[in-house]
Amino acid sequence: MTRRILLLCAVLIAMGFGGAFAESEAPHGTPPAATHEAAPPGEHGVTPGDAHPAEEGGGALLELPDLIHNLKVYFGGPGERPENLIDYLFAWRGNIFALLVLIVISIVLLRGAAKKEMIPGPFQNAVETVVEAFYNFIHGILGRHAREFAPFLGTLFLYIWFMNLSGLVPLLKAPTSLFETTLALALCVFVYVQITGFRKLGVLGYFYHLVGSPTDVMGWALVPLMLPLHVIGEIAKPVSLSLRLFGNIMGEDVLIAVFTSLGVACLAWLGSPVGIPLEFPFIFLGLLLSTIQALVFTLLSTIYFSQMLPHEEEHGH
Amino acid sequence: MTGSLLHLALPLGLGIAAFGSALGLGSAVGKAMEAMGRQPEAAGKIQVGMVIGCAFIEALTIYALVTVFVLQGKL
Repeated sequence: MTRRILLLCAVLIAMGFGGAFAESEAPHGTPPAATHEAAPPGEHGVTPGDAHPAEEGGGALLELPDLIHNLKVYFGGPGERPENLIDYLFAWRGNIFALLVLIVISIVLLRGAAKKEMIPGPFQNAVETVVEAFYNFIHGILGRHAREFAPFLGTLFLYIWFMNLSGLVPLLKAPTSLFETTLALALCVFVYVQITGFRKLGVLGYFYHLVGSPTDVMGWALVPLMLPLHVIGEIAKPVSLSLRLFGNIMGEDVLIAVFTSLGVACLAWLGSPVGIPLEFPFIFLGLLLSTIQALVFTLLSTIYFSQMLPHEEEHGH
Repeated sequence: MTGSLLHLALPLGLGIAAFGSALGLGSAVGKAMEAMGRQPEAAGKIQVGMVIGCAFIEALTIYALVTVFVLQGKL
């Protein structure tokens, strides 16, 4: 029970952190704020693909408009500083879409776990199949520690997976295509991994692990070299985790937006309100990439956990 | 002037990074497929290792892509 509360706190902190990040970024008018300034409401009809090429905005990233983005275009203040409610919604939109995803996952899983029957109905059966498959997957890497970490990692996987997929739904934006979200997630993993290290190895054991677990004189002599290396290695983990997820999902979304705008541009000279669905094949690529990236994030987190667990017990079985 | 230089440099740099990643991914996936063909019963373990390796290799291209995103404002 305490574990669940801890988990909930972690998720809430992750979301709060993301929002604070976005908020601090908005007043400066750094890329996110500046980017959306450049995309005007469409001139010929309103198709999902009326994100205009970057001509007028200088170097703006193409992006399919989402709900809050559209609201901002029509009701938002003119400047880069947030002025009214819509502007604040826009600055916090990563959190809003993440919250939406959380609600969807919670409803699905709560409904799946509502009536625990020995002979499950089709819905409970489906949810249990997913959970069991994921547990077995974690068990293959963490062994007997799997029970302890599977809830956290499973939550992480479902959360990231649904967030990635929400980028393919019209009028939704993938929260993972904003760096603040992925950074918050990666920091959650980082902090939990370090705490696990302290708890499982002890304080001395943790620092022994951090200097590279030397066993002989040669190893101890290399400690001044190994310590900074390991510290940098630990810090590089959340950076690479968050950048990988952000870059992949952002790249995928931009790719789809570029092809959508190409499709619109193809028919724009006819005055057609809709374009050719050139982005169609890339949506399947997006489905594939979303799943793989969610899996990779979870898999790497699992590996980081397994590195922090005591090694000698691993050889026992 | 710097803008026009960036117009050339960004796609070129991304292409070079993607080229290196493609070589790495090709050899990694090819070797993994060979191993799976030789030992189909170990396919699951090989696949996990392969996906992790692929993630690390692919990350290098993604870093180049992130650089492009960062510098996009200066184009």
